[in-house]
Amino acid sequence: MAESWRTEKKRPKIKVLPWPAIPAPTVEEVYAGVDEKRKEYSLWVESAVRQQFNADKPESLNGIRVLDMTTNMIIGHWCSSHFSELGAEVIMVEPVGGDPLRKLTPFGREEYMFTSKDGEKCGARFLAEARNKLSVTLNVETEEGRNLLKAIIPQVDVLIENGAPGHYDKLGIGYRQLSEINPRLVYLWVGQRGQWGPLKDQPGAMDPVAQCSMGFAHGTGAPVSFGGTPTRSGWWLCDQVGGTFAAIGAMAALYAREKFLGKGQFVECTAAEGVIRIIDYNWGWNGMDGSVRPRYGNWDLAINIYAVNPCADGQIMVGGGHDRLWFRIWRAAGKAKPYLEQHICEDPKLRVVTDRLPHYQQVETYTTLVEWMKDCTRFQCETALQEEEVASGGVSFLDEVCEFPHYKYRGHVRLLDDGEYGQVLLGGSSFIGQKTPGRIKWIGRPVGKDNEDVFRSLAGLNRQQLASLKKGGVI
Amino acid sequence: MVDKALKDMTFEDFCRSVFNTKDTFHKPEVLKGIRAISTTQYILGPSCAAYLAELGAETIKVELPKRGEPMRHTTPFNEPFLYPLSRWMPEKGTGLGFFGANPNELFLSLDFHKPEAIQIMKRLAAKSDVSCENYRAGTFDRWGIGYRQFKDLNPRMVYQWMGGFGGWGPGRNRASYDILGQAQGGCFSITGWPKEYGGMPSKQTIWIMDYWGGAISAFNIIACLYWRDNVSGEGQFLEYSQVHGAQRHLTDFISLYGKTGIVAQRWGNWEPLLCVHGILKCGKSSYPNSKNPQEQEVGFCFVSAFKDDDFKKLCGVVGNAELAKKYPTHADRVGSDAQQAIYPALEKFAADKTKEEVWAAFTGAGLVSQPVWNSNEAANQEHWHLRGSMQWLDDPTFGDVQTQGVAYRLSDTPGRIKHVFKPVGADNEFVLSNLCGYGGSEIADLEKKEII
Repeated sequence: MAESWRTEKKRPKIKVLPWPAIPAPTVEEVYAGVDEKRKEYSLWVESAVRQQFNADKPESLNGIRVLDMTTNMIIGHWCSSHFSELGAEVIMVEPVGGDPLRKLTPFGREEYMFTSKDGEKCGARFLAEARNKLSVTLNVETEEGRNLLKAIIPQVDVLIENGAPGHYDKLGIGYRQLSEINPRLVYLWVGQRGQWGPLKDQPGAMDPVAQCSMGFAHGTGAPVSFGGTPTRSGWWLCDQVGGTFAAIGAMAALYAREKFLGKGQFVECTAAEGVIRIIDYNWGWNGMDGSVRPRYGNWDLAINIYAVNPCADGQIMVGGGHDRLWFRIWRAAGKAKPYLEQHICEDPKLRVVTDRLPHYQQVETYTTLVEWMKDCTRFQCETALQEEEVASGGVSFLDEVCEFPHYKYRGHVRLLDDGEYGQVLLGGSSFIGQKTPGRIKWIGRPVGKDNEDVFRSLAGLNRQQLASLKKGGVI
Repeated sequence: MVDKALKDMTFEDFCRSVFNTKDTFHKPEVLKGIRAISTTQYILGPSCAAYLAELGAETIKVELPKRGEPMRHTTPFNEPFLYPLSRWMPEKGTGLGFFGANPNELFLSLDFHKPEAIQIMKRLAAKSDVSCENYRAGTFDRWGIGYRQFKDLNPRMVYQWMGGFGGWGPGRNRASYDILGQAQGGCFSITGWPKEYGGMPSKQTIWIMDYWGGAISAFNIIACLYWRDNVSGEGQFLEYSQVHGAQRHLTDFISLYGKTGIVAQRWGNWEPLLCVHGILKCGKSSYPNSKNPQEQEVGFCFVSAFKDDDFKKLCGVVGNAELAKKYPTHADRVGSDAQQAIYPALEKFAADKTKEEVWAAFTGAGLVSQPVWNSNEAANQEHWHLRGSMQWLDDPTFGDVQTQGVAYRLSDTPGRIKHVFKPVGADNEFVLSNLCGYGGSEIADLEKKEII
């Protein structure tokens, strides 16, 4: 298949904005030479969901108010981002001085931080999940702070917190107390491993505790025989997966409230359990015979071919377990080196799809495949495999991702002109829809930017009261 | 509102009692009365439908007759299977690749290439609230069972298309899998050890772009049902592109690149944002006599001590007061050179210990620490079983099965697992007679013609 927009020049030499270094392809370029029938469908989908029209459309969660009281972890912020992208009003309630996450920046480098209009610096990690949210500060350790929280709770639909197990309950602002004030409140607790159960009191600090305590880190990375060790994910994967499940839980509670329940409920979700849910067959397999899921590097235990293998200028992914794709992959390899195709296709032990799965067959498969790939670049491999319509793609680094034409065209990567922080490049909302798409309106706010607006409009505080709370370190 | 008995309990007892996952079946289900059709394969689409099924939606999974979908023939090293695959193939089993992505569903087999099958799909669509589909973009439209046809039959339908690159844009014809999303989306590039430490970009062990993509689609579907039922009365078309998930996950790295041109790289088991906050290699195996090579390996243990006081404590435990003096503040520790000096110094302490010994020393001093558990160790934690995130299920088809539970807990309307999955076409009779008006002999006839 011809993809005229592909070029080998994938790594643009740019240092800073303007982005993109290479303009995104135009509609005409993208659909050049496509037959009318296929084009008709693509153009219909594009007209239905292309994100430039988002602002003209309604938002599905408009009218929902969320208080995100989590600090120090991404799980809660990630969760509330789902609501803010779909139109809920999300208010981040930070301790006075701001969430400590704001100060985090790779290797402590201040020059990597974003600066707001009034000169306050904020790290990218925090800012990325402050999208569309308002920022207020509130010290719930003080009596006045708790009273202020109780005063606005009747107007809140969802509250998210990640205090130590039982801490909010002890302070008198837990689910048991706040549901008295507002029975319709959905109260969500998020954390690493839970607020009840034997492990609850072993402190969990951020994401790696979850990654290590449910088998994820042990299973990621290369096997010892390949020189590998257990490896943690390079991003805070458990927090982010757990945050999405927390959002499903809270959304389900809202749906139930409106549909038949008439009241809110207590919801709990943890980072570790989010990944326990999605770590495919580990528990089933272990339950059968005590099996320990091994690390298997960039290969797959259950599909052959389905792997990322080295090539001349990096690594290349290729996948095709069932027969149709299996033979196409070898045809692609055989075009360059016919003896490789012959070697595989003549092996009777590799004929049936399931027979290819044992370890020694995978070793044979991939050593043969890399015999071809080692002399080709990612681009060459990709081209040869895509001619056979096989799924394949090079391992891309962030600069290549940001310049990948498909992502630019569809707005997966996009530039936001933010009122506070200026031009910010970011990953767009994944809620792509016809009638109520997700959207990003602003990237975030400096600490306590919305104190006055929020506390005036929700708690009726006046100038003097605001000033005295501020002086007392309550807001 | 909480009744008096619950109010007087300790907080932990209160949680145990409202979240008791052994006692979910007398509580109502959130999506009771919502019907979803799942014409999906592999993981991305099926998992999305499965999350709805956990919440009580009646989810009808449609797959090809006899052999079912490809994921049923996927299992680690071709060893474990659950029998039977279907009533037509009792000697074959379903591979564990199918596990976790299809609980609670009804299973209907259907060959879309036959006109009767299209008729059946239309009858189902007229009575359904949600459709999850992940065929190549435009295929269902061409067959007459896509969103544009369904919306005329049923304008309230929320139609979620999921797939690799999406139905439009330059890459729309590309095929995709989970690891393609991980590779081409940028996830590989920041996971694993740097080259200098002998590492390569690494994939995440799970099919994260599939399972997470399913989750975010399920969230969007429930939000759209909320909008439909409370605001507009309308269904709509939703699209999720798997490669997009990676950009959403890596958005802070993208922002960093946009601001500075810095291309984030791998940093192994350490953390660029914090120090100490990483995984240490311990010198001894916890099970030196095990026959399993996974267990003979030396252990690893995570420790977190990024606050100054904690770091001082940590240095005390490892008996290296020099270190505490040399790196008194977080700013001193978090730089890349400092990290490269600190972690090896800490690993010296662990060199003659098992991960449990290291963990005991650290937690004894009040530090956050966690041994790296393998899947067997995790599966044997009472914590997960008590909380129901892992459970032994008395499955109607397969007997005792250890399976994951619902990821999150709801006090009043919890999700639940009823069965892990069923053989291909197990609910053909029920679905076709209940929803499509076919009688017994007509169903037998459909089976004979290999339509179902």
